[in-house]
Amino acid sequence: MALIAMLVVPGAVGLWLMTGGRALDVATARVIALVAAVVGGAAAVVASAQRPVIDRAWIPDLGVRWHFEIDGISAPLVALTAVIGVLVVAHAWAEQPWLDASGGERGSAATYLGALLLVVTGAFAAFSARDAVLFFIAFEVVLVPMWVLIGRYGDPHSEAKRADASARFILYTAIGSTLMLVGILLLVWQAGTADFAELPAAAADLSLGQQTLIATLLTLGLAVKVPVFPLHTWLPAAHTTAPTAGSVLLAAVLLKLGTYGLVRLPLANVPDGFSRIAPVLAIAGVIGILWGGLICLVERDLKRLIAFSSVAHMGFVVLALASGTETGVQAALIGNIAHGVISALLFVIVGGLKHRWGSVDLAIVRPALREVSPRLGFALILGLAAGLGLPGLAGFWGEFVALVAPWNPAQHTGILRTCAVIAAVGAALAAAYSLRVARIVWVGDEVSADAPHRAADTRGLELAVVAVLGAAVVAIGVAPVIVWSVTADAVSALVGGAP
Amino acid sequence: MTLTMDWGLLLPALLPVAALALILVVEAIAPTARPVLVVLAGFGLVAAAAETIPGLVGDDDPRLTLCTPAPDGRCMWDGGALTSTLQLAILLSTLAVLALISVRRAGVIELVMLLASASGGVAVVAARDLGTWLITLELATLPVIALVAWRDRRAAAHGALTLLTTSLVSFGLLVLGTALWVTATGDPTLTGESLATAWAVPEQRTLAGLATVVLLAGLAFKLSAVPFHAWTPTTLTSGPLPISALLASSSKLAAIGALIVVLAPYDAVVDLSPGPHVVVAALVILTVASMLTGTVMALRQTEVVRLLAWSTVAQAGWILLPLTALTVAGRQAAAVYTLVYAVAGLVAFAAVRAIHGRRVEDGRELTAYTGLFRRDPLTGGALALALLVLAGLPPGVIGLVAKIVALRPAVSAGLWPVAVVAVVAAVLGIAVYVRWFAVLFGEPTIDAPARPAQRRASLGVALIGSAVLVVASALPQLLVGLVS
Repeated sequence: MALIAMLVVPGAVGLWLMTGGRALDVATARVIALVAAVVGGAAAVVASAQRPVIDRAWIPDLGVRWHFEIDGISAPLVALTAVIGVLVVAHAWAEQPWLDASGGERGSAATYLGALLLVVTGAFAAFSARDAVLFFIAFEVVLVPMWVLIGRYGDPHSEAKRADASARFILYTAIGSTLMLVGILLLVWQAGTADFAELPAAAADLSLGQQTLIATLLTLGLAVKVPVFPLHTWLPAAHTTAPTAGSVLLAAVLLKLGTYGLVRLPLANVPDGFSRIAPVLAIAGVIGILWGGLICLVERDLKRLIAFSSVAHMGFVVLALASGTETGVQAALIGNIAHGVISALLFVIVGGLKHRWGSVDLAIVRPALREVSPRLGFALILGLAAGLGLPGLAGFWGEFVALVAPWNPAQHTGILRTCAVIAAVGAALAAAYSLRVARIVWVGDEVSADAPHRAADTRGLELAVVAVLGAAVVAIGVAPVIVWSVTADAVSALVGGAP
Repeated sequence: MTLTMDWGLLLPALLPVAALALILVVEAIAPTARPVLVVLAGFGLVAAAAETIPGLVGDDDPRLTLCTPAPDGRCMWDGGALTSTLQLAILLSTLAVLALISVRRAGVIELVMLLASASGGVAVVAARDLGTWLITLELATLPVIALVAWRDRRAAAHGALTLLTTSLVSFGLLVLGTALWVTATGDPTLTGESLATAWAVPEQRTLAGLATVVLLAGLAFKLSAVPFHAWTPTTLTSGPLPISALLASSSKLAAIGALIVVLAPYDAVVDLSPGPHVVVAALVILTVASMLTGTVMALRQTEVVRLLAWSTVAQAGWILLPLTALTVAGRQAAAVYTLVYAVAGLVAFAAVRAIHGRRVEDGRELTAYTGLFRRDPLTGGALALALLVLAGLPPGVIGLVAKIVALRPAVSAGLWPVAVVAVVAAVLGIAVYVRWFAVLFGEPTIDAPARPAQRRASLGVALIGSAVLVVASALPQLLVGLVS
C-alpha cells in the first residue's frame, strides 16, 4: 500500500499538473504539489521501513513484471529522494523559475511543479524496481520532465544556452540508457530471467567473454549517467542552466541512479566481467577526481564549479566500486548519499546567490557573505567543509572509505593502489578549491556599505530547506552507522563471498 | 484439384471487395448518393475488421484454408494471430485514412481505390503461395499511386510519377525473385520444408539466397528502406496528406506483412550450416542504412511532412531490425513495432491535418507549431504524445516497449553490433522528435495558421489514436500479446 502510494500519488499528480492542470494558478498548484510530495515522501519512508512487495505480471510476453520492492541498498536512496522531493517542491516558494528575468510569466507554474514530481516518481520507481527491464523503463521516465525543467525553466537570460544544455542532457542520457538497454537485454536473454533476485545465480555460469561484454555495455551506459570522465561533459552545462530545484534533483537524485545502477546491474550480476573492466573504471574515476579538482581551481562560475566538484566526488564513488569489495560498495553507497545531501545544500545556496546577484561569477568583487548574510554564509562553509571531506561531516566517510577500499581490492591490486594514492592527491585538491571559494565568497573583499550586490539573508522556506540539508550533512557525518546499518546485510549478500 | 475452403477466414479480404462492388453498383444507379457510398465503404472496412477478431482471441488451432488434399497438403492461406493482427491494423488504418479524407470530399474513385488497397493488404499478409502473394501485394500498392495522382496539382502528378516508376522497378524485382524462388525450391508455396530441401544442395542454396535477396530488394521499395527510399520524401510531401498517412500506415503494414511471409520459411534453415548468411547480411545492411540515413536526414528538415517522411525511412530500419534474427519472435516483434509506428504515425498525420485544415499542403513549417500547447491543447497533446512514442520516451511508454521488443530478437541472435548501431539511431531519433516537441511549448506567434473550421474527423482520428497509445502505454501486453 505504501509502495503504491509512493509511486502513484506524485506520479498521478505530476502528470495531471503537466496536462489537465496546466492553467492552475500558482498558489493552488504549489499547495497541491507540496501535498503530493509530502504524501509520496511519507509513503516512501514507510515503505523503506516496512519493505512491502508488489509483484504483478505486466508484459508477460517480454517477461517484464511490475515488481517493486525496497531492499537495504535502495532504502537510503529512496529516503534521500523522498526528502529531496519535498524540499525541491518547497523551494518553489523561494525561487520562481516560471517567471522570466523581468518578472513576467514565461511558463506555467503547474507544469514546472508537475515536472519536479515526475522526476521524483521516476527515481522512486527506478530505486525500487526489482526487474531489470522495468528498471530501464523507470530510468527513462525522468528524461522528459528533466528536459522540460532545464529547457523551459532554466536560466532566464539565454534561450540558446537552455536549448543547448537541455538537448545535451537528453541526448547524452539517452545514449547511456539505450546502451544499458542493450546490455540488459543481452544479460536477460543469456540468464533467462529479468528478476534481480534470480539474476546473479542465473548469470553465474556465463562465460568470461560474455560477462565482460555485458559488463562493458552496462558500465558504459551507466557511466554517462554517473557521470564518469570523459562522459561528463553534459553535466556542467545542465547544472549551470537548470533552475535551483533542477540542479538539486540532478545532483541528489539523478546521478545516484547511475551509481545505483552500477551496483545493481554489472557488479551484482556479472562480477567477473565487471572486475575485468574495473581498472579502466578506476582510472577514469581518478582522472575525473583530478580533472574536476583542477577545473574547480580556476573555474569562475560558481554553479559550474559545484558541478565539476560533483564529477570529482563521483570519481571517488566509482573508484570505490571498482575495488569490487564489500567495503568498496559500502563506501560507494555512503558516498552517494553524502554527495546527494552536500551537493543539494550547495546548489540551494548557490542557486539562491545567483538569484540574488544575477550571476555567480567569482571574478566580480562582492561584499563578504559572512557579513551581509551570515546564515547563508555559515551554510556555505558547512557545505564546502563537508565537500572537502572534513571528519565529522558527511563527505568524510565516503572519501575516506573510498580510499581504503581500493588499497585492499579484490583484484588488480597494483593499479588500484596507484589509483588510491592519486585519488588522495585529488582529495587535497578538493581542500584547495573549497578554500578558494570560501575565501572569495565568504571572506570576500571589503566593499563600501552602499555597494550593489548586497544579498538579503536567507529566511522562510529557503532557510528551512537549507537547515534540513545542513542537519543531514552533520547527522550522516557524526553517525554514518544510520546508513551502514541499513545497507550492510544487502551489500554482503550482493558481493557474496568476496572479502 | 480440389481446395478446401473456409469462407470465414477469407472474409476480411472479401468484404472490402464486396463493399467495392456494391459502391460501383450504387453509384451507377444513383450517382448523387455520395454519402451513402462513404457509409458503405466504412461498413465494408468495419465488417472486415470484425471478421479478424476470431483470429486474435481464438485458441491455438491452426487457421489454415485453401488447402490441397492430403497427403501432400499445402495451405495457401493462413489466418493465424500474427496475420489477423496485421489485417486488423490494415483495415482500421484504412478506415482512419478514410476519415481524414473527410466524408464530404471522398469521391467514388478514392473509395474504390482505398478498398482495393485494403483488400490487397489483407490478402498479402495471409497468402502462403507466391502467386497470390505477388498479385495481392501489387493490389495493395498500385491503387495508392492513383490516389496520389488523383489530385489536380502538378506536384502531386510528379509524386505519383516517382511512385509509379519505383513501383514498376519493384514489381520487376519481385517477379524475378518469385521466379528464382520457384526455380530454387521447385515449390510455388512458401514452406520451410521445401526451402530446407533446397538448402541441402549447394547450387539450389545459392539460388534460394539470391531469390530472397531480390525479393527483399523489391519489398524494400515498398517499405521505403534505404537505398530504395528515394521516392518517399517526394511522394509524401506532394500527394494529398491523407494518402501520405496511408503510405505511412496501411501500406507499411502490408509491406511488412509481405516480408514476414517471405522470411517465415527461413525458420527451417536458420540453424543449419551453412546458415542463411546472405539473407541476414542483406537485412542488416538495409536496417543500418535506413536507420542512420533516415534519422540524419530527418534532423535537417523544417517542413513537418518531409520530416515525417524521413522518419518513416528511419522507422523502416527499426521495423527490419528484429527480422535480422530470422526467428518467429523476430517476426512478431517486427509486427508489434510496425503496429506501434502505424498508430503513432497516423496520430501525427491526423494532428497535422487538424492544424492546417483543408489547405494542408501549404505552410507546414515547424515554426507554425510554436505554442501549440497553449493555442490548441487537444491537438497539441495528441501530437506531443505521438512524437514521444516515436522517439521512445516515457510517458510514451509503448514507444519504448516497442524499441525493447525490436532490439530483443537481434540481441538474442548475437547481432549486438547492429543493436549498438540502433542505439546511435535511437538517440539521433530522440533529437529529431524532441526538436519538434520543443517547438510546441512557448508563446503562440501571430502568424500561426488559423484553426480550420472543419476538422472534426481529423481531430477524432488523432484523439482515438492517442487513446490507443495511452492504453497501450499503461498495458503494453494488450498490444504485444496480440501477435503471439
